[in-house]
Amino acid sequence: MKMRGAAVAFLISCLLLVGLSGCSTKKEPAGTGLQVVTTLFPLYDFSRIIGGTHAQVTMLLPPGVEPHTFEPRPEDMIRISRAALFIYTNPFMEPWAEKILSGINNKALRVVNAGEGVSYLSGSIDEDHDHDQHHDHGHGGMDPHIWLDFANAAQMVDAICNGFVAADPANGSEYRHNAQLLKGKLAALDERYRQGLSSCATGKLLHGGHFTFGYLARRYKLEYHALSGLSSDSEPSAQRMAALIRSVRATGVKFLFAEELLSPRLSETLAGEAGVELLMLHGAHNLSRDEMARNISFIELMERNLSQLQKGLQCQKK
Amino acid sequence: MSEKIVSTSLLSCSYREGRVLEDITFAVERGDYVGIVGPNGSGKSTLVKALLGLVTIASGKAMLFDTPLSDFRDWHKVGYLPQSLHLVNPVFPATVHETVGLGLLSLKRFPKRLTGADHDKIESLLEELGVYDLKHKLIGELSGGQLQRVLLARALVNNPELLVLDEPTAALDPDTRGRFYAMIAAINRSRNVTILLVTHDSGAIGEHASKMLYLDKSLLFYGSFDEFCCSPEMSSLFGEHSQHLMCHRH
Amino acid sequence: MNILEILSYGFIQRALLAGTLIALLCSVLGVFLVLRRLSLIGDGLAHVTFGSTAIALALKLYSAMSLLISMPIVLLASLGILRLTKKGRLSGDTAIGLVSALGISAGIILASVGGGYNVDLLSYLFGNILAIKGEEVVIAALLCLGVLLLVTLYYHELFAISFSDELAQVSGIRTSFINSILVLLTALSVVLAMKLVGVMLISALLIVPAAGALQLARGFKVCILLAALQGCFSVVVGIIISIISNLPASASIVMINLLVFASACLLRRVMYPKYSN
Repeated sequence: MKMRGAAVAFLISCLLLVGLSGCSTKKEPAGTGLQVVTTLFPLYDFSRIIGGTHAQVTMLLPPGVEPHTFEPRPEDMIRISRAALFIYTNPFMEPWAEKILSGINNKALRVVNAGEGVSYLSGSIDEDHDHDQHHDHGHGGMDPHIWLDFANAAQMVDAICNGFVAADPANGSEYRHNAQLLKGKLAALDERYRQGLSSCATGKLLHGGHFTFGYLARRYKLEYHALSGLSSDSEPSAQRMAALIRSVRATGVKFLFAEELLSPRLSETLAGEAGVELLMLHGAHNLSRDEMARNISFIELMERNLSQLQKGLQCQKK
Repeated sequence: MSEKIVSTSLLSCSYREGRVLEDITFAVERGDYVGIVGPNGSGKSTLVKALLGLVTIASGKAMLFDTPLSDFRDWHKVGYLPQSLHLVNPVFPATVHETVGLGLLSLKRFPKRLTGADHDKIESLLEELGVYDLKHKLIGELSGGQLQRVLLARALVNNPELLVLDEPTAALDPDTRGRFYAMIAAINRSRNVTILLVTHDSGAIGEHASKMLYLDKSLLFYGSFDEFCCSPEMSSLFGEHSQHLMCHRH
Repeated sequence: MNILEILSYGFIQRALLAGTLIALLCSVLGVFLVLRRLSLIGDGLAHVTFGSTAIALALKLYSAMSLLISMPIVLLASLGILRLTKKGRLSGDTAIGLVSALGISAGIILASVGGGYNVDLLSYLFGNILAIKGEEVVIAALLCLGVLLLVTLYYHELFAISFSDELAQVSGIRTSFINSILVLLTALSVVLAMKLVGVMLISALLIVPAAGALQLARGFKVCILLAALQGCFSVVVGIIISIISNLPASASIVMINLLVFASACLLRRVMYPKYSN
């Protein structure tokens, strides 16, 4: 009896491991060129554009996984130890990056902190409830979603480009050229946002989730109210929820924003309570599995965000 | 053939360490008061647990009331008093009254409920055993002797035909021990309850038991107490002097 | 903002209602689990839910559909824990630890090899007491009703197996059947209530009210009633305090529970100094 149970358990574990390792051997072909490992989606997208045909760019974060809950697999460690470039956003977003790097013995590896030198924003969630200060030590109180300010994004492109040039001077001119084109697209995107959000019925960006879109709001002079702070561990209080519901009602908007990839439970509750609809915005730090399969780009995501914003803020299309 | 309350044939049990009981064959008749004795680790507790279906039987057969153990359903005919100290969680929040009430469950059908008559029965039994005043106490608040009586009440509350006691006197001082055996003997006589009592002190039990079962992995002796004392096997086992001591009656 | 205004919001009313119902069923089950030395089963099964939800998400089954996968797995896991304690010579906490480790590691493996998800697993897995939907209040009510009904019908059997498995067996009680009912009800409650109120609250409501009631109860029935009372009290008071002092609701409820427990300990010292050591 006991033996049979043990045998069954053993068999299940074996099947599980074998079956799963089967799944994990999909992987992109071990291409040639500059080996580049990135952490989050914006870096991945920028790097593959800059690298063009000369680089093999991979992203550490599996689709749908929050950056905070990421844990590298042995394969990831091997990939980093063979890479020429490792690009991450900043120590607030990927606190695990330094730990991973300290465990890697690769003297040729060039590490790029893409967020170095951009203008950071502190992540306090609101002004009308100052006693609700969120002391978030994990992020050092800094909002890590820097790429949502397209001027910052352009600076990140520069930082990444410099990394590429330093690692592979032979193709330097091509990397610079690609980066220049990308920055042009980002500037155009910025202009479209500026135009598109210039005459809206409301300037209040009400978000029923964690503080994510602060940079976007700052750049386009929107008033940003998020339900809870930067840390994904913090929970909103009832007062905070009630305050947001009141804001929604007072503003008279028909929509409340929520972030894709995350559970919409709280946002749905708020929207239901306030009698408005939910609109999804994309934080872009990661993609869903489906989006990854469709090979969607950062610019496309931001275009989608713009049209959602225009709908939610009732802007006049130009 | 008269009814056998308990009978086994070639009963064997084993734990991981190996065999603890080997080929036990014996039968108990109605009204017997059987003292089960033997050295430590001789399998006394295992034997009664096997008879109650609490330990898996490796080979052989066990019957209760002429019914094979696996088919036996009349658990209300059996009262069981376990080695209480290991058994009862001292922080368990049950009162004495509730604990004795648990003994009544074997007769109840689903959904099991206790009636007013049941509560009267519990209280009169507590009175009979001299622990009525404790009825609102929690079991964790009782002394060893008090707990023993309460668990005895639990075992007796269904008026069982067979009462199985496993080292019931372990927590008692020698004086109370003698009184306890006498109380069991009284129950045996007045209610005609068949008794199986496991103990390591063969001297004291001898005064009251009608039969002795001497166990050391296998069954070494089963018969009346007098036979036990005169048996040459016993004297060769213990030496004549100890046998005399064991069988000495006051 | 005043309390009355906040209390007029639907989400607070649903939190109070569903929270009380879940507290009621958790604290009643908790008394049996704590006495059976299975207190941590809530945490353990939550980890299994994590693992099994990972499977469901990998198969693209979302929200309620994910229960099609996770429910049977968690029910089986609860029976597995029971079996390990009986046959595997393991104590309850070891068996729970074993199954819980299996659940969480399977979840992590699946999360990293399954090619990722379309939603973040963790944020998706844990509910929040302030985000309960109308139909979920109905689910909580049905669950509570079912659990209380079965506990009432099998009250004496559950009492007997908690007191002593051996004695229960000799009283003709089918102990493995009753034990299975207990852990299956727990598994059902954990899976469903976790989506509603989150794992921290479930785990705390299974343990703390029972532990508090054990300090003062003079009798088994009283113990269950006290635990139920503490559970419901903590939800109502916890939510109100969280509104007044602007704190997260679930953590406030847990804190109130711990305060009640501490008071019960103190009261025990005053009331029964003799038995307090």
